Parts: sequence; structure tokens; C-alpha cells
Amino acid sequence: MSQPNPLVAGISRRLNGPQTLGNSAFFWCAWLLGLALLVALPLLVSRYQVINASNILISCILAMSLCLIWGYGGILSLGQASFYCIGGYAFGVVGINLIDAQGNTDLALLAGIAIPVVFATVLGGMMFYSRLKGVYIAILMLVVSLLLGLFMRQTADPSYTIGSAFLGGMNGLRPATSADPSIPNMILGFGDYVIAFDGRRSEFYWLVLGLTTAIYLGLRWLVNSSFGYVLIACREDLDRTETFGYDVRLVQLAVFCLSAAIAGFSGALYTAWGTYIHPDGFGVAPNILVVIWVAVGGRRDLTSVIVSTMLLSWISLELTSSGEISLLALGVILVLAMLLAPEGIIATAGAWIGRTVRRRGGMPARSRESVT
Amino acid sequence: MSEPSTTMTVPHAPDPTAPILEVVDIYKLYGGVHALDGLSMSVQTGEVHCVLGPNGAGKSTFFKMLMGTERPTSGRVVYKGEDVTRYPAYRRARLGLSVKFQNLRVFPELTVYQNLFVPLRRKHAPAQIPARVGAMLAQVRLPGSEDRPVQQLSHGQQQWLAIAMSLASDPELLLLDEPTAGLSQDESEQTAAIINEVNASGVTVIVIEHDMAFIRSLKARTSVLHYGRLFAQGSFDEIAANEDVRRIYLGTA
Ligand SMILES: Nc1ncnc2c1ncn2[C@@H]1O[C@H](COP(=O)(O)OP(=O)(O)OP(=O)(O)O)[C@@H](O)[C@H]1O
Ligand SMILES: [Mg+2]
Repeated sequence: MSQPNPLVAGISRRLNGPQTLGNSAFFWCAWLLGLALLVALPLLVSRYQVINASNILISCILAMSLCLIWGYGGILSLGQASFYCIGGYAFGVVGINLIDAQGNTDLALLAGIAIPVVFATVLGGMMFYSRLKGVYIAILMLVVSLLLGLFMRQTADPSYTIGSAFLGGMNGLRPATSADPSIPNMILGFGDYVIAFDGRRSEFYWLVLGLTTAIYLGLRWLVNSSFGYVLIACREDLDRTETFGYDVRLVQLAVFCLSAAIAGFSGALYTAWGTYIHPDGFGVAPNILVVIWVAVGGRRDLTSVIVSTMLLSWISLELTSSGEISLLALGVILVLAMLLAPEGIIATAGAWIGRTVRRRGGMPARSRESVT
Repeated sequence: MSEPSTTMTVPHAPDPTAPILEVVDIYKLYGGVHALDGLSMSVQTGEVHCVLGPNGAGKSTFFKMLMGTERPTSGRVVYKGEDVTRYPAYRRARLGLSVKFQNLRVFPELTVYQNLFVPLRRKHAPAQIPARVGAMLAQVRLPGSEDRPVQQLSHGQQQWLAIAMSLASDPELLLLDEPTAGLSQDESEQTAAIINEVNASGVTVIVIEHDMAFIRSLKARTSVLHYGRLFAQGSFDEIAANEDVRRIYLGTA
């Protein structure tokens, strides 16, 4: 199967490796086919469904952020949605304040990444440098998320304004006065050279699809790199990894911040998509939802997590009209998945497909040279 | 043996006769259990030093204090003249300490090569690693087994892999907790040869062991721990002849 083209070989060496399922030519053909289908989606389905698809892709980015720290880093956070919401609020607040002056949301998007990272640095610094582990981190993160939600809910008093933005309590973020602009769409570029991505249009969908793909490929590269190996070693045995001379607290903090950046980024996209953000996102249900997406798919594989997030979000959408049933259904799926395929339904199925294809096609096993 | 005073321990003292390691009055309490109860001892640069003692004597706890994976309740650990008591494990590793724990703590789902990749990667560029892995595996009697999954290795081979992992950082002081546990006679002899070779290359080694024949083949200075304290110390022959040591090993103490 070896490609003579050195560029292809180089890229393939960096994206493939033992930390990801799906490294064969067969996998990448199927992957390209899937991507092509997603690119063509706006031509195939209704506009309403494209809008929903954009939101599902945003969820995929959020799910990847949890997959990174939990599946690869071994740090379960039950508060991943809080970074998403912080990113969402940051985008909204900065966007409302700067859109008229600047004509773009570049800084708002940056804030949507940077503020969750600052938050994660402080929180992660305290957790990892005090050597907190396992279930304590999971619960602490959930509590932090719930507290933030509690705070945001009681910001209905008009004094909670940041410049032109009013936090708005239960009703969500809004302009402070009728003269102020509302939460803007995603508008990228400088000066007169800007492109607006209306959340209800296909351009926004394609933008998010491109970003999801880029983050997916970037994370594949990361987890199959040397750093990825150290990360997995931390997951498997933190103390042992430290005795090899790695400052594991720093490794954990770094990956926690990267994860917060990705989650915050998806939150900023979400706010731009619907031009609204409210405190419900800090609650138990959204936090658990992310865990379900990741666990059902297979937390130790990025591709599986994306596929399961797409399927489960789509199921949720189909069931939204039935109210609470949606979360209940996902809960049942989670329990079944944990009983039948503890490593994840998609990951287990994917591994089976991989074995079948290799048997049929006689593809060579990966060589250790793929480690870089 | 004279007790060196703390004020004389200048960092990076170039004296080759200085102890590479001293522990001073170490206590480690787990709840009410005194795992270490005022242990003081020192290890000379370049020696192979055996530590033995009955089950629960505190030998593994002693190693944890040395490596820094856990902190003593009180007391000091001095490595090459530097007080490292408060250093986290990764800093001690960077100073040249390395350990093989009693439970092997290899990564069972990875291959042999991948197990060695992480400890080697800290000091070596990726391009150098395959050659280093090859050399290390030859040293621990596992040549050519790079691509074998660790689960498929015998217990003895996993012991050797664990030793190789602790050698990957080019340590100056190597701690081996029961490296012959579960090994056959022949494998134990091979392990003794590996330790002697490592020591000949300039590495100081401390070995926790129960197997008397194995300790004899190392010709090491031996310390006996009992109830978290130094019970006896001397050459192997002195220890083997010591009536009190026999008594605690027979459990009549
Ligand atoms: N994490 C812990 N929590 C509570 N007690 C502990 C802990 N670790 C060790 N102990 C206790 O401290 C004592 C010394 O244990 P240690 O493992 O150091 O003994 P050892 O000499 O290595 O024994 P063995 O020969 O069985 O390996 C034992 O009584 C043990 O039960
Ligand atoms: Mg022990």
C-alpha cells in the first residue's frame, strides 16, 4: 500500500498511528466519501436541516474537546459544557461591544477562545498542581459549571451590563439598550474585506464543516505525535510517567487548556450560529450530554466520537418535540453501550470493520516507523 | 560508619567516595501504620546495594520516598549532597534517579517499542530512538522483540522490559524492587548478570530482594529492614551468618 509520493507519505505518517482507529487507505477513502457527502449536504436537504446540521457540527467540535482530555488524557470532566458557554458568552459580549466599531467579529472569536483558556489555566493550575485526580476533578468541574450557571441566572438585574452588553439572567445575553447592536453573526476579515457567515445559511455550514475537519486533522496529528504518547502514558499511569522525568502536571494543564480552547471555540460558533446564548448551557444536562456523545462512540478515538455525536445529536433533534424523552433515550443508549461495548459502540464496530477489511485485503500491519 | 553532618553536604561535591544517597531519620505513617519508623542509611557511589527484610518491613515504601512518588512524614532524603526531600518525582528523575516498581507498571496494551518510546523520548530525538531501543533490548536479553505486544511477553520478559524502561533515562542511581519475583532459576541468573553489567557501566544500583542465592551472586553490601528500621547491615556473608536476621525471616521475632 506504500505511496511513492513523499508528500503523501509524510502526511500519512503524521496523521496515522496507534492512537487512532482508521489508518488504512480504505479508511481514508471512506472518510473522503463521507466528507464529500457532508460538503454536498446543502444541495441535498432542506434549508432547515442545513441549519440543524451546522449545530450538530458545532457539537462535534465540543465532543472532540472532551475526547482529547478524557479519552486521550484520562481526565474526565463533567463540566466541559462550561467552557463552551464561557466561550459563547465571551463571543457575545465582545461581539456586541465591538461590532459597530470594527465591522467584524475577529476579536470576539478570539475572546471566545482566550477567556475559556484563562479560566482553564487558573482552574487547571489549582487542580493539577495540587495533584487532584479522577472523580474529584470530574465532580469539581461539574460544580464549577453549576455555580457559573447559578450566577448567570441571577444577572437579570440591569446593573449586570458590560459596555453595551446586558447579561440578562434567564433570558440570556442581549444588548443593554435598544440603541445597541444585538449579538452579531460570524463576520471574519479586516476593514472592508470581510465575509459574513449567517448562521441560517449554507456558507456558515461550510465554514463550520471546514473548521471541524481542520480540528479533527490537527488533533489526529497531535495524538499520534510524541506529545500524544506522553499524554497516553499519563492516562495509563500518571506516577510512572512522572518517574520518567516528565512534569505530568504541566502535561495535564497543557491538554486541559487546549481542550478548553476548542470547547470555547465551539461555544463562540454556537452563539454566532443562533445569535443567542443563555445560562441553561451550564446545567447538568448539557454537561452530561457531551459525556454521552463521547462515551457511546468510544472515548479513545476521535473518529468514533464524531460519528456518534452526529448520530446522537440527530436522534435528539428528532425527539425534541417529545420533550424530556430525548435525554432519557440517550441515557438508555448510554447504558446499553456501556454493557455491550464498553469501549464505545462506534469504536468497537470500527475495529471490527478494520479487521475484516485487513483479512480480505491482506493489508500490512502498521510499522513502528509511524511513531514520530 | 560516621554520620555526615548536613552542613557539609555541598551540592555537586566532586568527592567520589561521598555517598550517592543518604536517608536521615525517615518516618512514613499510613494512618496508624509506621511503614518507615526512623530509617537512616546511606549508599556509596558505584556500589550494588541489596535491601532485604520480611514482608511489610517497609522496603517498597523506602523506594517511594527515594523516588518521590510519595513524601515522608518526616526526615530527609539527600541525593549527591542535595536535599531532595521536597522535590517531585520528575525532578529527581532529571537528577539521575530511576525506579522499577514492585508491580511492573509496563503498559500492557502497547508494544515493546512503544513502551520504551515514552521514557526514551524525553532525552532523545525521534530519529535516534529506534537504534536506542535496539541496543537497550539487547542489553536486557530481549533482542528483536520491538513489535511484540507486551501482553504476549512472559512474566520474566516483562520484568526485563520494566528494567529497560527504568534504564532509558540513563540513570546514575537505579532502584529495582524485586526484579526476580516470579522468575525461573535461569532467568534470575540472567537478571543478576544484567545488574552486574549495568553496575559495571557506572550506575549505582539498589536492589530489593528475597532470593538469597540471587543476592549472593551480586556480592553486594546488604541492609536488612525490619519494622521500618535498619536492622542490620554488612557484607552478604555477614548478613547470611547473622542469627538475628535468620530469626526475623523465620517470623519468630
Ligand atoms: N498506601 C498505603 N496505605 C496504607 N498502608 C500502607 C500503604 N503502603 C504500604 N503500607 C503498609 O506499610 C507497610 C510497609 O509496606 P511496604 O510495601 O513498604 O513493605 P515491603 O517491605 O515492600 O513488603 P513486601 O516484601 O511484601 O513487598 C505494610 O504494613 C503495608 O501494609
Ligand atoms: Mg515491597
